[in-house]
Amino acid sequence: MDEEYDAVVLGTGLKECILSGMLSVSGKKVLHVDRNKYYGGESASITPLEDLFSKFKAPPPDENYGRGRDWNVDLIPKFLMANGLLVKLLIHTGVTRYLEFKSVEGSYVYKSGKISKVPIDQHEALSSDLMGLFEKRRFRNFLVWVQNMQEDDPKTWDGFDPYNNNMSALYNKFSLDKNTQDFTGHALALYRDDEYIGQSAINTIRRIKLYSDSLARYGKSPYLYPMYGLGELPQGFARLSAIYGGTYMLDKRIDEIVMKDGKVVGVRSGEEVAACKQVFCDPTYVPDKVKKVGQVIRCICLLDHPIPGTGDALSTQIIIPQKQVNRNSDIYVSLVSHTHQVAAKGWFIAMVSTTVETGNPETEIKPGLDLLGPIRQKFVSVSDYLEPTDDGLNSQVFISTSYDATTHFETTCLDVLDIFKRATGEEFDFKKVKHELGDEDQ
Amino acid sequence: MATVKVTEQKVILCGEYGVGKTSIFRRFANNTFISSNDRKSTLGLDNIDKEYLVDDKKIRLQLWDTGGMERVASVTSSYYKFAEAAILVFALDNATSFHLLSQHLLDIVTYAENAKIFLCGNKNDFESTALQVTDAEMEQFCEQCHNLISATYKTSCKTGQGINEMFEEIAHYLVETNRSRIGLHEMDQERFKISYVDESGDPSCVC
Repeated sequence: MDEEYDAVVLGTGLKECILSGMLSVSGKKVLHVDRNKYYGGESASITPLEDLFSKFKAPPPDENYGRGRDWNVDLIPKFLMANGLLVKLLIHTGVTRYLEFKSVEGSYVYKSGKISKVPIDQHEALSSDLMGLFEKRRFRNFLVWVQNMQEDDPKTWDGFDPYNNNMSALYNKFSLDKNTQDFTGHALALYRDDEYIGQSAINTIRRIKLYSDSLARYGKSPYLYPMYGLGELPQGFARLSAIYGGTYMLDKRIDEIVMKDGKVVGVRSGEEVAACKQVFCDPTYVPDKVKKVGQVIRCICLLDHPIPGTGDALSTQIIIPQKQVNRNSDIYVSLVSHTHQVAAKGWFIAMVSTTVETGNPETEIKPGLDLLGPIRQKFVSVSDYLEPTDDGLNSQVFISTSYDATTHFETTCLDVLDIFKRATGEEFDFKKVKHELGDEDQ
Repeated sequence: MATVKVTEQKVILCGEYGVGKTSIFRRFANNTFISSNDRKSTLGLDNIDKEYLVDDKKIRLQLWDTGGMERVASVTSSYYKFAEAAILVFALDNATSFHLLSQHLLDIVTYAENAKIFLCGNKNDFESTALQVTDAEMEQFCEQCHNLISATYKTSCKTGQGINEMFEEIAHYLVETNRSRIGLHEMDQERFKISYVDESGDPSCVC
C-alpha cells in the first residue's frame, strides 16, 4: 500500500467500480480499497441466504428455502434500461462480456387498487384497461407525436415547441386527463414526483423515448436484469480496472484521508499511507463531508409464488404513482426470481421501496406490500440518502451520492459521469477502451 | 446468421499469486515467455480465444486470467461464473502454493459448480532437487478431492513444455462433456449477452 498512486478509490459499490475502471482505462494508476471482505458495498448481492438472514438478525432460514448459495439477494433494487446509460457504459468498456441478462417480463402500473400493464405502443394503448375509449385515442395520438418528433427538426413538432413549453402545455395539447398524465409521467417517463409538469417538455419527451427505445431492444419490457444479481455489475467493472493495472485490496480498514493545505495527499490505513493526488469514495467513507438530504426505505420480501395479477411473470416491475396513494413520491415494486439464479427453485424476491415522507416509513410501503400476496419473509431497511457538501474541486476528494429510490441506473450513471468530468476536466472518452479491446479480439 | 458459430468455452486460471498463471496465459496467447513479471505486457488483455479441432469437431477455448486480483484482494466471484473448466495452478518449487490449493478449489466448486477442474504443476524446469512437490503428493491431493480433478499436468512456461498438450487435452475433455450435456444449453435460451454497437451516428463505429 505504501506506494504512490494517481487515485485511491474507497468502497467497491457500483459507482466507485465504474469510476475505478474508467480511471484505469484512462491510464491512471489506481488503488481500490474496501473495508469489507466482499465486493460491492451497498450494491452487492448477498449470498448465501444465511448471510442475508444474519445481516438482518433473523434466525437462520429453514430447509424450505433450498440451498443457501443458490440465492443472491440485492440490497438495492434496480433494473437496467435496455437503451440506457449503464448499458452504453457496459458495451463501450467491454464489461458486457462478463454478464448475461434476461429481459424483465412485464411492467405494471397501479390504479385504484389494482394493477394494469403499462401500455407503450399504439396497440397496447387501445386495449389497455387504464383509460376510457376517447382517452385511449388521445393517448395514442400523444404517443405517435412523441415517437415521430425529432429534436432537431421543427417540422416534426406539429406547432409545439418542446423547449419553450412545459409538460403541462403538452398534456393540454392532447387533452390528456389526470390519470393518463399520472402513468405517463411516472410509469413511462419514470419521474418520482410531479415537478416535471412545470418544466420544459423536452426532458419528459426524451424520457418517454428512452422508455420506448429500450422496449424496442428486447421486447417484453424496457428493463434488463443480470444473471446472478446486480452484484455482478460492480465486480465486472472491478475486473476491468484490474485488467488495466488497478490494484485491489479488500478487508482493509481506512483510518484517515490525509490532507495538506486543503488538498488530499494520501489515504492512511494503520501505519501505511498510500500517497495519491485524488480520492474517490462513497459517502460512508467521509461522514464529515456529506449531508443527509433524505431517506429511502427498502423492503426485501421472499415469496414462494409470483405476484398476483401479473400473469405469473418471473420478473416484473410495478409502479404506484404518488397520487394514487396520496403521496409525494412513487412506490416501486420489483420482482426477480430463480430464473435469474438469484433464488432457489420456486422462489421469488420482491422489493418494495420508496422515498421516506413520514416518521413511520413501514406504513408508507403498505400499498406495495399488499400487492404481493403471502410474504414468507420480510427484511426492512431504512437508509440515509447522503450527498457531498462540495464538488471536490479544491480538496480533490470526489464523493458519490447514495443510491436513490429510482428503479433504474440512469441517475447512478449521471453521477459517475459527472464525477469523472469534475475530476479529470474532460468527458469520459468511450473510444479509448473500444479501440484497445478491438485489437484484442483478433 | 449464416455462419455456424463455434461456442466458446470459458477456461479460468486459479491459484496463488506468482505461480505462473499469467505466464500460462501468455504462452497460450502467443507462445512467449517473459521472465521478469512484466505486467504491462498483458495490460488491457482480458481473455484469449483459441480454436481446437477434436475429432472433426471445432471447439473454442477462451482462457481467462485473474488480472492479479488475488494478490492482495480476492478474485471476484463473477470471475468464476459461466466457466466450463478451471485450471488449478501451483508452482512445483513452492510447497505453500500447493498447500493453499484447497481454498481455490473451494471457490471453484462454489461459484463454478459445473466446471471441469484440472490440476497444473507449473515451473517444471528446476533441478529435481529444487522441486518441493512430488507426484505422490499430487496424486494424494486428487484422492482427497474425491475425484473432482479431471486430470493433472506438469508444465514449464519457461521452456513451453506441456502447455499445448494440456490445452489440447482440456479441449478433448470439454468436447466429451458437452456431448453428454447436449440440450442443457438450450434449456435456457432467454438469457443473452448485450453486444450490439450503438446507433449509426456513434463515433465508435469509425474504426
